[in-house]
Amino acid sequence: MGLLSPQDEATLKQHLSSITFPVQLVLFTQAFGGSETGDVAKQILGEIASLNDKITIVEKSFVLDTEDKAKYKVDKAPAIVILSDGIDTRMKMYGAPTGYEFVGLVEAIIVAGTGKIDLDPETMKWVQAVDKPTHIQVFSTPT
Amino acid sequence: MAAANEMITADAIEATEFMDLSRKYRVTGVPKTIVNETIEILGGLPEKMFVRQALDLPDPDTP
Repeated sequence: MGLLSPQDEATLKQHLSSITFPVQLVLFTQAFGGSETGDVAKQILGEIASLNDKITIVEKSFVLDTEDKAKYKVDKAPAIVILSDGIDTRMKMYGAPTGYEFVGLVEAIIVAGTGKIDLDPETMKWVQAVDKPTHIQVFSTPT
Repeated sequence: MAAANEMITADAIEATEFMDLSRKYRVTGVPKTIVNETIEILGGLPEKMFVRQALDLPDPDTP
């Protein structure tokens, strides 16, 4: 049985219909000795990808795919790297994307797939003026 | 923010799954945001206030 209800699926499909660029969700999991939430993440991504054919999942091993880990700067698993037409959006999610994290994931997919960033024009100016490496980590919980 | 500027990277982290990190950054409530290991923002804020704090921009209300 799916994690999303048929009603949720219909709403989500509607939201995702604005996507025009291909979006790749690169999922890093650890098969042995890793967290079982990797399987949950895989199932959630699968359900999202089934709703829009521009969204694809690329599975990677946290242990074996060391080049990709380095390329996307992934340091823990499960991790989801969001690519817009193959280009790293620099948005990543760590842990299973359930609850509030799910909303964040969908928003990130829509940004990656539309190229539209929903920021106030003044805020956007501040963000675009950043000229040194800036790493933002946001901690949240599913509920 | 990350999508708007190549200098910015953004990680969303499930706090209960990565307890070591949550302890490291003293995550006592969520959402908690850490910028460059130095700036801490606890709770959700309106967009402008959040970005101003995250980027360490001066508060316009402070003379």
